[in-house]
Amino acid sequence: MDGKKLQHAEHRDASPGAEAREASRATEGEVVRFGISAAPGIVIGRAFVHDTDEDLSIARTRVAHDMVDAEVARFKDALGATRGELLQIKTSLADSMGEDHARIFDAHLLILDDVMVIEDTEALIRTEGYNAAWALKEVISRVVASFSNIGDEYLKERSADIIDVKRRVLAKLLGLKREKVLSPSEPSIVVAHELSPSEIAQLDRRVVLGYATDRGGRTSHTAILARSQGVAAVVGLEDAARLIETGDTLILDGNCGTLIINPLGVTVEKYKIEIEKWKEFEAQLLTLTGYPAETLDHHKVDLVANIDLPDEVQSALDYGAEGIGLFRTEYFFIAHDQLPTEEEQYKVYRAVVDKMKDKPVTIRVLDIGGDKIAGYLHRSAELNPFMGWRGIRFLLTRKDIFKTQLRAIYRASGHGRVRLMFPLIVSVEEVLRAKEICEEVKADLIKGRYKIDPDVEIGIMIETPSAVALAGALAKEVDFFSIGTNDLIQYTMAVDRGNTKISYLYQHLHPSIIRFLKMTVDAAKKNNIPTAICGEMCADPLAAVVLLGLGIDEFSCSPNRMPEVKKIVRSVTYDECKTIVKKILQYSTTEKIEAHVETFLKERIPDLALFKEGKQDA
Amino acid sequence: MIEFETQVNNKIGMHLRAAGEFVKVATKFKSDVFVVKNGRKANGKSILGLASLAIESGARITVRIQGNDELDARAAIEKLIADNFYED
Repeated sequence: MDGKKLQHAEHRDASPGAEAREASRATEGEVVRFGISAAPGIVIGRAFVHDTDEDLSIARTRVAHDMVDAEVARFKDALGATRGELLQIKTSLADSMGEDHARIFDAHLLILDDVMVIEDTEALIRTEGYNAAWALKEVISRVVASFSNIGDEYLKERSADIIDVKRRVLAKLLGLKREKVLSPSEPSIVVAHELSPSEIAQLDRRVVLGYATDRGGRTSHTAILARSQGVAAVVGLEDAARLIETGDTLILDGNCGTLIINPLGVTVEKYKIEIEKWKEFEAQLLTLTGYPAETLDHHKVDLVANIDLPDEVQSALDYGAEGIGLFRTEYFFIAHDQLPTEEEQYKVYRAVVDKMKDKPVTIRVLDIGGDKIAGYLHRSAELNPFMGWRGIRFLLTRKDIFKTQLRAIYRASGHGRVRLMFPLIVSVEEVLRAKEICEEVKADLIKGRYKIDPDVEIGIMIETPSAVALAGALAKEVDFFSIGTNDLIQYTMAVDRGNTKISYLYQHLHPSIIRFLKMTVDAAKKNNIPTAICGEMCADPLAAVVLLGLGIDEFSCSPNRMPEVKKIVRSVTYDECKTIVKKILQYSTTEKIEAHVETFLKERIPDLALFKEGKQDA
Repeated sequence: MIEFETQVNNKIGMHLRAAGEFVKVATKFKSDVFVVKNGRKANGKSILGLASLAIESGARITVRIQGNDELDARAAIEKLIADNFYED
């Protein structure tokens, strides 16, 4: 008997999350967590914990006292049903692959019959009255945690077998297909340790009120996607996913980066007032929609939208977009489980072009890589994907994929104003080779009597230090530049933007970034081509002033951030922004630069505090 | 109760599959079976309990058996370990 007690003690040690959870619940009242403000907005709602680890989100409930026996019986029935399922798989595997392979499932069956798991789960149901699904999930989490502490890679990998068995049993207990519980069934705030772009793509957007994640910074994909969806988000919460159970009530304040778990009545009342204030501010910004993005001294810039999905076009237009400055095509590839065909892509590009009528649509070709790898491309994991086979490098070696996409884009160009853009350029040769392929595609399409625009403008992303250094030479080969500030800052500062320990280094107004921007704009002007900014930086009010002063021609950001940018542009003069840039180019620290711009902007926009931007990554 | 010390000599230690073989043998008997390594103890009839001990190749373990058929259980378990869990 004492053997079991000892195991319990070990497991508790191995699972600090469970302890923290109990501790926070033991203290009366709400729990407040501070993270990084990633997308504006305030919401009060129910939590849905997206368990990346197990693909299943289980609420903890209590079963009535007289139902405990029935709950234990339900658990045992689920075990029996899973055993039948595993035996069936084992038999068919033995037939097709031989006995040896089938023996893999012996381990699964033994895990299923494990006395420790069965006894501990039953004990949680009987002594605490928890529901079987939650009890099993908890027991397995402890086992997996104890495995991950061992430091043996082989055992850690075997955790996958244990989790697989757990999933099968849970599916039986819930009577659900696994896919169904990947997305909340009612309006909820999605809580996760981390969300990959493909996981976000699988969520039903109609029921997502907001995002709260443990990892990530302001420019991680969850943050960018949340902003483009116009949904509040707080990231970098460290331990939220462990603290929160599906069904908890949450207040998510994306403006301040605050998350309140199971708030008190008075707190909810206070936040309801905050929500009203925020709505008023937003309404005030929206009154600007019909006005141009023009400074007080009539310097006009193009305010355009970044989009990921065709259904974002409407909100871009609603917010007054004068075009699409960046149509990312990755999510479209990620959401499918096979490569989209030319016809499928054409339909999507055409839909966007049609909806934008005569306004320009800048389509960036596939920038798969880094954190956005699509499983079906069968790419082996890279040690350093951000510096790996991605962007234009990937397309120039996978010409089949590149050409298919170019054909679809050129076919859409016959129906509106399409611009084409290449990502991750580091050399002139890449641009020349990509342009050659464009010419081949164009010739083919013309031969096939397709209606295309033969003069589609071709631009490149300036997002590597190498492209900045070569800006003068690159400008001679292309029709426009678009500075991708997210990646440019990441590569220049050598900082992983998803790493909360160093994300403070990710600074829009770092002196080296400002110098790089200046070099790029100067090279473009010398060659008479326009420069756009398509990173999140242009929605940062302080940065917006600097970008204006540098002479950037086009500002492209998430649709819902456009009114804020417009408000800034319309509050200042071009002349004073130019003066500011001259001044800050003499400064060598971010602190001094920010202080200078902030002092100026606060005078112009007293309610600047409502713009939630800038230094919150720190 | 009987207790004996032994060494695990199969190639990769008592990983999940080897632990599974151990459990298969142990559950044939009515006796309670426990395995102790470095002061940590696990139920010899629990594959996950055994695996969590992280018994690597060459590790010395103590097996504790208590029950009416403990002698038969000991013989069977010793044979299993000597046969390297039928691995090779």
